[in-house]
Amino acid sequence: MFQLIWNGLFVGSFYALVALGYSMVYGIIKLLNFAHGDLYMLGSFLAFVVLGGMTGLFGLGSIPILLLVLLITMLLTGGIGVLIERVAYRPLRTSPRLAALITAVGVSFTLEYAVRQIFGASPLVFPIRLQGAPVEVFGARITMPQLVLMLVAAILMFLLQRYVMHSREGRAMRAIALDQKASLLMGVNVNKVISRTFFIGSALAGAAGVMAAAYYGTIDFLMGFVIGLKAFTAAVIGGIGNLYGAMLGGIVLGLLESFGTHFLGGQWRDVFAFGFLILFLVFKPTGILGERVVERV
Amino acid sequence: MSLKRSATARKSHRSRLVATGAVALSIGLALTGCSGGLASGGDSGDSGKGNIKLGMLAPFSGSEAAFGDYMKFGAQLAINEVNADGGVDGRDLELVTEDDGCDPTAAVAAANKLVTAGVKGSVGGYCSGATLPTLPIFADAQVPMVIPAANSNELVGQGAFMINGTGTQQAESAVKYIKKVGAKSVVVIDDNTDYSVDLADSVEKQADGFKVVKRESINPKEKDFSANVNSVLSANPDFVVWTGYYQAGGLLINQLRGGGYDGPILVGDGSVDAQLAAIAGPDSIKNVVGTFTRTPDMLEGGDKWIADYKKVSNGADPGPYSIQSYEAVKTLAEAYKNAGGTDYDAVVKALKDLKDFPLLTGDLTFAADGSREGGGFVIVEPTGEDGAFVLKDDLKS
Repeated sequence: MFQLIWNGLFVGSFYALVALGYSMVYGIIKLLNFAHGDLYMLGSFLAFVVLGGMTGLFGLGSIPILLLVLLITMLLTGGIGVLIERVAYRPLRTSPRLAALITAVGVSFTLEYAVRQIFGASPLVFPIRLQGAPVEVFGARITMPQLVLMLVAAILMFLLQRYVMHSREGRAMRAIALDQKASLLMGVNVNKVISRTFFIGSALAGAAGVMAAAYYGTIDFLMGFVIGLKAFTAAVIGGIGNLYGAMLGGIVLGLLESFGTHFLGGQWRDVFAFGFLILFLVFKPTGILGERVVERV
Repeated sequence: MSLKRSATARKSHRSRLVATGAVALSIGLALTGCSGGLASGGDSGDSGKGNIKLGMLAPFSGSEAAFGDYMKFGAQLAINEVNADGGVDGRDLELVTEDDGCDPTAAVAAANKLVTAGVKGSVGGYCSGATLPTLPIFADAQVPMVIPAANSNELVGQGAFMINGTGTQQAESAVKYIKKVGAKSVVVIDDNTDYSVDLADSVEKQADGFKVVKRESINPKEKDFSANVNSVLSANPDFVVWTGYYQAGGLLINQLRGGGYDGPILVGDGSVDAQLAAIAGPDSIKNVVGTFTRTPDMLEGGDKWIADYKKVSNGADPGPYSIQSYEAVKTLAEAYKNAGGTDYDAVVKALKDLKDFPLLTGDLTFAADGSREGGGFVIVEPTGEDGAFVLKDDLKS
């Protein structure tokens, strides 16, 4: 029982990290950034490259080196996120939402197959694999790397929460989410804030990618697809556009999957997860932390 | 409300987009196929002159993309050898490859493209699910088919000839081995693909002397199988059978070990690849075996074959089904020779009449339904260099 909860929390913390970026971008420019899962994938590949260079310099370290790689990768993925927004989304900001949505699908495929061209189609084995002897806690097997990764995820989420809720820039983000035009009139540099949002969201997805790569040990060019959908589901369950909602949604989805698989069997895992997506969309589209969604015509 | 609408719209738009894309792609493929056929003119009606084109469908994109090159280079090596020997009645063989992406829709378009390009034989087929819908296309166009890799039972008896043993035959050897090590409670895990489910069903059906206590399925696109691992462990098995491919297999083995399962794990031929050990990690790969038709490094004369292969592949090592693709071409070339040409009925009859045709993986005779007699499966283990699989047990005793 406790093992199920633990598994759910662990997987859920990854979903939550990725869902945060989804949710932030949606909250601010009402765009479902389809390429978000692929930024997660990109994060793991960038870490693969950075790690290759790093281990040449410092030898193969483990957790401290990995944290440094994590930081560098976050900066890089964040930068790429900003670039994507600048090139693919900003020119379409005044177009109908559908146009931006289709562009996002295009960006997603572009990232996937560009990575495939560069690194090949076969999965690559990540040079560092975090694995430790498990400790039994209430009958559940818990490993040190799992704890560290969850801690890193929690720290990142905490910092983000501080930033968005208690800083000037965070206030600007929230203002734009409420009313972009009014913010512009009030002298907020909208483009800059949106760029910043993309930077943070992408960096978080990249961080999740690095951690997943180091934990599971392989990376491949399609790894972002499923987690992208799952993160979207998590964001909807929690209440899309809502910061706490994304975190809560990730954890809830992780737990749902863990228990669903246990009681229904592995075949039903995705049916169960996406079934909940449909249920939420039909009966409570605002998610658990139901934020009022203002209809703009 | 705006959220609800945009979210559902997003979903349906994605699928609609994919569908439109697929249609556009197939039209595109059909057009290029047509123009290819027109350009090569008389070639599609066999004039008895020019190269004999052999078509190969294999995944060159998508998650199984790595196998496309393995198969292509194997087939190309055989073609080079046949041509160096003077070809078939003085005509050279020529390989035409098309990408099926392991996807049925793409495979149908690609098969049509091959037919319009005027192929006289098909030597492809990796994913069973993608290969199945192409069989009637080749059959209607009177293109003889020798399938190197795909081996689902669904493919048997549809007019194709199979170099690889079928799922039933593979399951037989798996069952034999499980009995041999004396396991009693077995968990079978598949990855929801045709090939994998078929093999898992066969193992479950043929279970004898042991009990399949649980059937589990995973989604191979995921990375975290902790939920499945949990469910497997709760059944407390003393043997685990994995029937999917190595990409997810390596992760699953790693996570099963992490979850505390130390017992033997048997994998199907889709997982027999040195990458399995690399993905699973050195500690997790212990006590893992696979069922497989023999690979070149287990064979006499295999070293020379590998050296020849590397000349064709620009130095890359052969992988799963390289040798089966090589043998598919050799078999078809032999049939052309015996039939005295590329006439469909004569070639099919010649394939049926092959008796103990000597191949690297053993002598080949086709059963009446087109499957390979005996199947030739052995037990291998990943204890070779860099996790390469080597022969462990030929199951003869």
